[in-house]
Amino acid sequence: MILLRDVEKVYRRGSEELHALKGVDLEIGKGEFLAIVGPSGAGKSSLLHILGCLDLPTAGTMQFDQVAVEHMSERQLDALRRDKIGFVFQQFYLMPGLSVFDNVALPKIFTKRGTNKDGIASLIGMVGLNDRTTHFPNQLSGGEMQRVAIARALVNDPEIVLADEPTGNLDTENSEKIFGLLKSLHLRGYTIVMVTHNLDLAQRADRVITIRDGRIQ
Amino acid sequence: MAFLRLAFANLKRHRTRSLLALFGIATSVAVLFSILSFNKGFERGLARELERTGIHFMIVPSGCPHEVASLVLHGSIIPKFLDISVMEKIQKLDGIEFVSPILVAQLPNPQKGRIDLAYGIEMSRVRQLKPHWEIEGSIPADGDEIILGSEVAGHQGLKVGDAVNYPDIKAVFTVTGILKETGSQDDAFMYIPVRTAQTIFKKPSGATAIGVKVKDPAVLGDITDVLSEKVPGIQIVTMNQVMRSISGLAASAKVLSLSVAIIAIIVSAVGVMNAMLMAVFERTQEIGMMRAIGAARTDIFRIILKEGIVLTLAGGLFGIVAAAAGSDLIGVFVRKVMPYAPSSGMARFDAGIAAASLLFVTLVGVLSGLYPAWKASKINPIEAIKG
Repeated sequence: MILLRDVEKVYRRGSEELHALKGVDLEIGKGEFLAIVGPSGAGKSSLLHILGCLDLPTAGTMQFDQVAVEHMSERQLDALRRDKIGFVFQQFYLMPGLSVFDNVALPKIFTKRGTNKDGIASLIGMVGLNDRTTHFPNQLSGGEMQRVAIARALVNDPEIVLADEPTGNLDTENSEKIFGLLKSLHLRGYTIVMVTHNLDLAQRADRVITIRDGRIQ
Repeated sequence: MAFLRLAFANLKRHRTRSLLALFGIATSVAVLFSILSFNKGFERGLARELERTGIHFMIVPSGCPHEVASLVLHGSIIPKFLDISVMEKIQKLDGIEFVSPILVAQLPNPQKGRIDLAYGIEMSRVRQLKPHWEIEGSIPADGDEIILGSEVAGHQGLKVGDAVNYPDIKAVFTVTGILKETGSQDDAFMYIPVRTAQTIFKKPSGATAIGVKVKDPAVLGDITDVLSEKVPGIQIVTMNQVMRSISGLAASAKVLSLSVAIIAIIVSAVGVMNAMLMAVFERTQEIGMMRAIGAARTDIFRIILKEGIVLTLAGGLFGIVAAAAGSDLIGVFVRKVMPYAPSSGMARFDAGIAAASLLFVTLVGVLSGLYPAWKASKINPIEAIKG
């Protein structure tokens, strides 16, 4: 589903060049649960940016469903993210002024295809927040907020869910619950890529890759 | 519609900041709306009052046209006098229906420690000269009978039938009529027969002004031309000139106050822009998240722009409602600062002006939202997952 060939990412800061990724080759198959681990500054985030089509490689190629993304226009990349990728962030990033329902429905307003209320309600039910539909983020616990974020990531029925440290802001109990939720999504057929520092959780994924100094080891 | 809801939700999050920006817009729009409404009402009121004046032009000693305009409408003290012989010359001209002298002067009343304003008028012509007056009592028939303006009567507690004594000039007047409140400067005078005024002010053949009504208004220009030629040292002021003169004064005031209102709106727009820019900077990660989950740059631009429009439009609506509710206060203020003000209906609600003000403020909203919206649309989605 995703294929990276000899991907490099170089950031320039003045005259200084920072090589974040140095020739990464990676293939992610449909329905896979992949965990990416590595120390801070190793290039995990840069890799996730490229996998999520938020950034383009400086060199090398990336294909998403056999289509090269490096020549796509910004609009095409927007559409790709909107339709095929679900994001889950460490900081949740729920909109404080919107209810749980509206937060989950948020990506729908960018598709301009209208909101399927029953579909959203069933997603909220799936993440176990049926009784929180009308609540606002400040009325939820960290674990509940992350569940809302997961439901939001699924609302456009993506092909892949990219989770960036999804348990980074949660205690052990809630981390387990969120991981369990991601695992259940995987069992439903979703492709999951999770960046994490938590090696215990990473070990329970289908495959773990370690990234160090911009290279997969 | 969904974008609009999102814009509302975002504004609600920064309630105090949004309300302050809204208040700034509301105040400046209220000022703009009031000035525009006032100007329209002022001109309408002025035209109405001039229509009601029963004369076509006034003859006054040469002098300041604004002073004359003020005199023509409601009387004022001008320390220059016409000789009444001018009247005879005018009367001899063709096409004159009537001429009527007016003598306005101060009448000291040392016993009561005040100075009254006496307006000498031909009592037989009162109905023609002041057709809008409503008088309680009757119009004086004798030389020692007077009409009091409502303010004068109110202050001194005088009623119809009471006597007013001026021992210095050995005069005692009887009040036969009291003017009902006109809301204009007419309320501040006591009206005495012009012959009596000429006697007590020792101007037996003097007049502050002479009002003239012609038989056919179509030949007004010809008559005034002939009059200017035949009678030197006079100034002819037609009602149109009075209208122009006062409208000119009002227009100058309007230009000044409109400039102030527009500057106030620009300052408020900068306030809105500032509030929105702050909100955009604070929400960098959130906007980045929206970009990450598929919002195009144009989507972000529209959301932020709508916030600006919602804020200014709400401020505009609030300002207009407040200005319409407080229009009477504006009337009171204008009467204090303008040399002339029509008696009523100066600032009435006008849907056209309200719509124009709202349109203007919407444009201001668009302009003040453009930069923050552009800035927001430039936010990189990577910002969202930097953590």
